Amino acid sequence: MSVIQTIAALCVLFAAAFGAQAQQSPQSVDEISRLIELADPGSTIVLPAGVYEGNLRIDKSVVLDGQGVVTIDGLGKGTVIELGAGDITLRGLTIRGSGSTVDQEPAGVRAFAGPVIIEHNRFEDVYFGIDLRPAPESIIRNNTIVGKALGPGRRGDGVRLWWSDDCIIVDNVIDGVRDMVFWYSENLTITRNHVRNSRYGLHFMYSHGTTLKNNELTANSVGVYLMYSNEIHLIHNSIVNNRGTSGYGVGLKDCDAITVENNALLANRVGIYIDNSPSSVDSYGLIIDNKIAFNEIGLLATPITHDNVISHNAFVENEEQVTVHGRGQLMLNEFSADGVGNFWSNYSGFDQDGDGIGDFPHAPRSLFRSLLAREPNLQIFLHSPAQQAVDLTARAFPDLSPEPIFVDASPLTRPPELDLFVSSQRGSRVPMIGFAVGLLLVSGVGGWVIAHQPRLPVVSDSDLSQRAFV
Amino acid sequence: MIKASHVTKRFGSVVAVDDLSFELAESESIALWGSNGAGKTTLIRSLLGIFPSTGTVFIHGVDVRKQGKRARSFVGYVPQELAFHDDARLGASILFFANLRRVNRRNAAVALAKVGLQGHEKKRVRDLSGGMKQRLALAIALIADPPIIVLDEPTSNLDASGRGEVIDTLCQLRDEGKTLLFASHRPDEVLALGGRVLVMEKGKLIRDITPTELWPTESRIQTMRLYLSMGTEESAAVALREAGHAVNLNGNGLCVSVPRNRKAEPVAVLARAEIEVRDFEILDEVQGDQA
Amino acid sequence: MSTLPIEATDSPSVTQSGSHLSRVSSVIAFARREFRDAIASRWFLLYTLAFTVLAVAVSFMSLAGSGSHGFAGFGRTTAGLLNLIMLVVPLMALIAGAGSIAGERERGTLLYLLAQPISRVELLLGKYIGLALALCCSMCVGFGLSAGVLAWRVGGVGISAFVMLVVFTCGLALAMLSVGILLSVISRRSGVATGLGLFAWLILVFLSDLGLMAGTILFKLRVQEVFAIGVMNPLQAFKMAVIVNMNASLDVLGPVGMYASQTFGSALPWVLALVLGVWTIVPLVIALILFSKRGSV
Repeated sequence: MSVIQTIAALCVLFAAAFGAQAQQSPQSVDEISRLIELADPGSTIVLPAGVYEGNLRIDKSVVLDGQGVVTIDGLGKGTVIELGAGDITLRGLTIRGSGSTVDQEPAGVRAFAGPVIIEHNRFEDVYFGIDLRPAPESIIRNNTIVGKALGPGRRGDGVRLWWSDDCIIVDNVIDGVRDMVFWYSENLTITRNHVRNSRYGLHFMYSHGTTLKNNELTANSVGVYLMYSNEIHLIHNSIVNNRGTSGYGVGLKDCDAITVENNALLANRVGIYIDNSPSSVDSYGLIIDNKIAFNEIGLLATPITHDNVISHNAFVENEEQVTVHGRGQLMLNEFSADGVGNFWSNYSGFDQDGDGIGDFPHAPRSLFRSLLAREPNLQIFLHSPAQQAVDLTARAFPDLSPEPIFVDASPLTRPPELDLFVSSQRGSRVPMIGFAVGLLLVSGVGGWVIAHQPRLPVVSDSDLSQRAFV
Repeated sequence: MIKASHVTKRFGSVVAVDDLSFELAESESIALWGSNGAGKTTLIRSLLGIFPSTGTVFIHGVDVRKQGKRARSFVGYVPQELAFHDDARLGASILFFANLRRVNRRNAAVALAKVGLQGHEKKRVRDLSGGMKQRLALAIALIADPPIIVLDEPTSNLDASGRGEVIDTLCQLRDEGKTLLFASHRPDEVLALGGRVLVMEKGKLIRDITPTELWPTESRIQTMRLYLSMGTEESAAVALREAGHAVNLNGNGLCVSVPRNRKAEPVAVLARAEIEVRDFEILDEVQGDQA
Repeated sequence: MSTLPIEATDSPSVTQSGSHLSRVSSVIAFARREFRDAIASRWFLLYTLAFTVLAVAVSFMSLAGSGSHGFAGFGRTTAGLLNLIMLVVPLMALIAGAGSIAGERERGTLLYLLAQPISRVELLLGKYIGLALALCCSMCVGFGLSAGVLAWRVGGVGISAFVMLVVFTCGLALAMLSVGILLSVISRRSGVATGLGLFAWLILVFLSDLGLMAGTILFKLRVQEVFAIGVMNPLQAFKMAVIVNMNASLDVLGPVGMYASQTFGSALPWVLALVLGVWTIVPLVIALILFSKRGSV
């Protein structure tokens, strides 16, 4: 590279650095308001790159495009952007610094009219993320929302819909907020969203007729919590490691006509929690083709639970596969439909005719569990040899055995092939391999060092003659 | 080197050592003489502070009860029953004691070579003969070259030639200036080694004399082994002790020490007790000129 | 005559500095011998083999159903290992401890050792350390292979909880070894000591928990009472410590667990570690005092 070329390159670098410096000196959001004022309704405004400070309100139908280089900062006061008209699009913005006063619920974006499109934005340090109240037929797409660094009890919702029907909410990533919550909003499309480290991943209040598909709900207190909402279809969701205070993968409270299908419910405290669903006498609940595995409790239900069909699921290695909250049984629910039950990893029967259906019904009885129902304090003895001793005793003396809490008449003897949506969470193997090798090395080398004994030196005759004895 | 005053050791109501005092000067050699159960072993254990006893014991000027560890560092001890970990190898055993005494490996190897166990390092202790074990114990006692050697019936598990080797070694140690304290029930050993003899009976020190005083040369002592019917050894030993004979009863049979001109006495004693003596044999004769 | 350390101890100044050093070195000598004897003994190899095979088998079986997305299997593996550890580790440590002094006493080797220039405290401490190292080594082999299985099938998820599992298991082994050594010191014969060890195992693993279960039902014990009595059992403290490290709370263990989590908050793992610490130190100190004061051989 010649000297001239080098100098030229340095000049370019310097200019670029200087330019970036110039861009970062913040401007007021009034600059944006002025641009909107000048624009025709329906036109697209590409904002100059930079940081704009203050609270922005838009009452004209325009497209505001930040192309990923525009930041609007509310400086910790109020709502960052308010949308007062329909047909507004916010795209490619970084929206940050809302207020955090609980009573005013300040948000990153609050829309008072629909439809609006909010896409490809990044929300940081906001109390609420996107609040539609109401803005029906809106689209919330490809946004990343990270809540304020507040304690779990103090956070606002990442996304809230309020009386906003027919919205499309897809491909958003939401981290560290309270809920993604839907109030009185029907016929929504909720797909491929990823909610993590929050309270309720997807929370439905009085919102009916929606399909939830391919969402990922990870490390929340509850993955999907449906309350007083009917005709919801949960399909192909990945609901993993939700083990907060409530700790349900899916919670169903007073919901009718729910279908839970082909979901992966893994490593939650409780896989599915059924609380009085269906609540109507003539309704139903359908829990089919799910993989419910490695949860502390696979399925937890209140004692009055009835009219659910639970079949063709794989219940694999949950600490407790099925339990009843308090005392009672689940005999009013079907664990087999049309001669097909569920796969239970703890099924102790066999399948002599090889048709894939176990020859005995699956009716697990645990004396410890039934004692637990009487005296919840006993749960402290879970995972101890004493618990197993109690259950073994009960097995040896059938008179002591309690009634089973449910019966699956046609248990599957092989895990069903299920079409699931699960993203792998393997993580790097290196630390674990390192730890394994480290342990083996420590025991091997350490053991050798401790146990090693040097050989005795060979003694020559002259050594011997130095000493007087013998 | 050892100064014991009013040493008393009780096991429950039994007084095993009863108010015993003696003194052992540097380079002196003392034999504890007495039949089985006279309290020799208990006295040795009390002296070493292995278990608590009343009275005071000073070894090399160090109070055993206050600084037992330091006091024991002046002593090499050879026990009566050799107790090593059977699975351990000979080399590992001696190295362990070398570490314990903070002596380097070379000394361990030298000590092993001196007792003629070189080349046996790989052998497991359980595979050693009684004599080899005894020599191993001697090697361990000598490993740190302590000024005092305490031996509790050092030859009880040995045959005649093994016994001779050990006695020779001990004589040389004594000549080298080591202080020796050993328990024995064999007059030949006592005559060979003992500058003084402490005669014990029922835990008490009854006499403190020289071996030649105990056994005048004109009535030298011989040891005879008695062959008895199965199961009568215990009662035979009791009968002989009551008749005033020094008796040793161990796995090798029943041995009695008698003046050479009174060898028929034990047989007569047993005849009176209606215990059948099938045969007897005279073991070695004590060399009078060594006494 | 060659110059040897014994002569050196005649000078008081050397004795002062040297006695401390030699105290450590005799403890080390005993620890190394004990370690060597332990790893060469059949029971120890058998235990190590059994623990390793079981740990690896539990890891495999818990992960068997996890298929291609096996990430979720860790908690289950730990739960499975937990049961195995609570059965095997106390048994191993109690029996090893129970055999230590009583075995030497019965073989007559104790007498011989005590005639050496060492103190009873050094002997017992050395034995304890040697056995503790041997036990920890043995478990590290099992855990190492189990971690290998996890790394292969699961990846790196839950490594910190697994590390804590290993640490607390070693803590449990140390506590049980202390109890075993105490039983060994008070027993005249090694058969008696082993019997006492088995009995202690039965009490700690089953009887005390079953008794507390019955008490909880019969007397309607309150949560704080159940926790206070339950946590005194080192096995329960161990179990809670492992679970609290895995889940960050004890809610899994019902109302009593929630009470513990709320009462002690983030200090809970330390409280539980303290219980294991007390179970390690108190029996060992009692054993040391009894062994040096009673003077039994």
